[in-house]
Amino acid sequence: MNSVPEILKRIRPEFDFASSDNFISDGMLDSFDIITLVSELDKNYGISIRGVDIVPENFQNVRTIEALLRKHGATL
Amino acid sequence: MNSLHTVEKVFEGIQTAKSGARDFRTNFFPVPSKLQAWIARDELLGVVRDGVAFFFRKDRDFWHFYYCAASLTALRREAVTLNELRSEPMVTDILGNESAIGDIMAVLQEVGFRHHARLQRMSRAAWPGNPQSAPGNVEVVCAEKASCQAILNLIESEFDCYAEQLPRLCDVESAAEQGRILTVKLNDQIGGLLFFETQGQASTIRYWVVEERYRAFRIGSTLMLHYLATQKDARRFTLWVNANNEKAIRKYRHYGYACDGLLDLVLANRMIPS
Repeated sequence: MNSVPEILKRIRPEFDFASSDNFISDGMLDSFDIITLVSELDKNYGISIRGVDIVPENFQNVRTIEALLRKHGATL
Repeated sequence: MNSLHTVEKVFEGIQTAKSGARDFRTNFFPVPSKLQAWIARDELLGVVRDGVAFFFRKDRDFWHFYYCAASLTALRREAVTLNELRSEPMVTDILGNESAIGDIMAVLQEVGFRHHARLQRMSRAAWPGNPQSAPGNVEVVCAEKASCQAILNLIESEFDCYAEQLPRLCDVESAAEQGRILTVKLNDQIGGLLFFETQGQASTIRYWVVEERYRAFRIGSTLMLHYLATQKDARRFTLWVNANNEKAIRKYRHYGYACDGLLDLVLANRMIPS
């Protein structure tokens, strides 16, 4: 199983996600990337993130993404 | 269909469609600041029904249609009943990878849309080291307010307003004020321009165009090199280009851009000229 930082790096290898606390305002993830990320997270953790949770505030940084995963029952 | 008066109302509608969705589909990715501007200009209408929220945005003499649907079935069931899709000039977009857009396209064709254009996204990472600076044969300057109407005229003459989300004069003025439009002037006229948006470490070219009579003056390459050299903090560069525009695609490839697989299929109803 890949970690969240590893998945992020695979989607957007050009960015240093560790240097940012807000991936959205720093331009590292756009709406299309979020859709790709959700699909990768679903596959990787065997969960199904609900549409209502696909909002920018859940994808601001590694902490918020991991909180979202826990909410959906993923084991990190 | 109702006029929308607050950003919160729009997000409420989207949340209603998302609630309990198993196969959520949308082509609506609103940024609050843009929503606010559309609402202030009274350009945005919306309707929320069983499992869907539909939005319509006025643009020049036609409408953009956006959907948020709990499933493909809900989208089909509710879109069929929308008279506006037949009575008003309307365009819509399907965004995604090639494999993901076929089923939505079939539903939208059922309600009267047909293929209008196909845009593809191209992107590039920042190159290591110092970017090559622009040659010095022509001077690149940021657009001034006095040039904004001429800039808009040039954009409107070169791009398809139904497919390429063209700005309004106020958008051009705002971009000029923020230094997001690079221009080259010849004989006191706009010879070419590069209009971009940079957010954090991502920079997007919106329009890059050279006036036809000045195309042998290397204005386009000067603008592009100046742009790349000045966006020092950007790590990722993107743009959308019409897939039929092979000449433009070749030029973007020359500057390191490559197609990244994301498509925007633009559909129009029969009231839009093909």
